[in-house]
Amino acid sequence: MDELKLGPITLRNRLVLKGFEILDRRFEIKEILDEEVFTKLAPTHLGIFSCFGGITFFIFLMQIMTGLLLMIYYVPDTQSAHKSVVAITNDIPFGWAVRGLHFWGANLMVLTVMIHMGKIYFGGIYKAPREMNWVTGVALFLLTMGFSFTGYLLPWTQLSYWATVIATEAPGAMPVVGPLTKSLMLGGPDVSQVTLSRFFTLHVMVLPAATFGLLIAHFLQIRRQGISGPM
Amino acid sequence: MEEADKSWSEAPVSRRAFVGSAVIGSAIAAAAGVFYPLARYLLPESKSGGGKKETYTVALNEVHVGEARFFTFKRRPALLIRKSDTELVALSAVCTHLGCIVKYHEESKQLLCPCHGAKYDQNGRVLGGPAPKPLTAYNARIEAGTIVVEEA
Ligand code: HEM
Ligand code: FES
Repeated sequence: MDELKLGPITLRNRLVLKGFEILDRRFEIKEILDEEVFTKLAPTHLGIFSCFGGITFFIFLMQIMTGLLLMIYYVPDTQSAHKSVVAITNDIPFGWAVRGLHFWGANLMVLTVMIHMGKIYFGGIYKAPREMNWVTGVALFLLTMGFSFTGYLLPWTQLSYWATVIATEAPGAMPVVGPLTKSLMLGGPDVSQVTLSRFFTLHVMVLPAATFGLLIAHFLQIRRQGISGPM
Repeated sequence: MEEADKSWSEAPVSRRAFVGSAVIGSAIAAAAGVFYPLARYLLPESKSGGGKKETYTVALNEVHVGEARFFTFKRRPALLIRKSDTELVALSAVCTHLGCIVKYHEESKQLLCPCHGAKYDQNGRVLGGPAPKPLTAYNARIEAGTIVVEEA
């Protein structure tokens, strides 16, 4: 008898007994659960660094939840943005916690993405047949940077403003396409309400949707190709 | 040994039941730790008094002339100065420069900030240092032997 399988299967039986039975009778969910969850055991060669993709995903889900909560009180208007962020921090009960989680989650997420990429890079895991997942991974990394870049403008502080001024100067200096890129980012000659509105739209709609899409692609590829073998 | 075994088997709660309720109890505590802040966040007016103005009261004879008293107002430190028998000033004690707590200097009758040396007079007006604006003032009045501080 496979000793290892005993645990998960017992757990499955209990879950099915408790609540999944309703679903199981209609959708025969037990089979799917067994195949996808309960008999799928992690290879033993995985270590702490193998966890960083999952940790990043977890933080991303936290960002979604705290981000939605922030959106309830945040006002994306140059006159009110800073005031609303101050109100979230100081007046709304537990607003400091929600904002703090979102702020630190954002910083941590960049760190964990980088550790995850480092593991893939130095482990040579990006090699065939997993090249396409390195590509989706890099795209996800760029989306994370995009989140940080657009989110940083939202509180509309001096730091936000000047960081955006400086960070749009850089693409503006590209030959030929620079000026066009810069005015596309800013929506005008300088950082204004137009910029805040587009950054907000990117931050809460476009980037989350794109990230979800790429995450699905990322995970499906892993499911299809399996976890890479030991180094 | 035998006696010990006996006491185990006669324990009113089995180990499994104990661990089980410990796990469920922790899960409930963790869930409460998420849902309580969430509820407070989403219902901001429910417990904070629904827009009622905050007041602070203290007996008049507890604050001597020339003296200052620290109190908490709107969840921030504030200062009540009794300038004379009937003259009172109530100010936020949060320095308008970078938010340190100012101290009252009785002899010079000035408010001094320990962080970067901002100086205010008794009414909160800036006398020197980096403070960009006066201290926030509150209304203080005397009502039948009691000092009442309210938002201006
Ligand atoms: C659906 C997902 C998200 C939503 C709805 C969302 C929403 C928001 C909102 C409304 C703000 C303004 C409030 C504030 O400044 O505190 C904000 C700020 C910010 N967000 Fe997000 N966000 C999401 C995901 C992310 C992710 C994935 C990251 C980074 C990896 C991120 C990084 C930031 C940063 C750096 C700030 C500025 C924080 C601050 O100055 O306090 N956000 N976000
Ligand atoms: S904080 Fe008071 S002088 Fe700077």
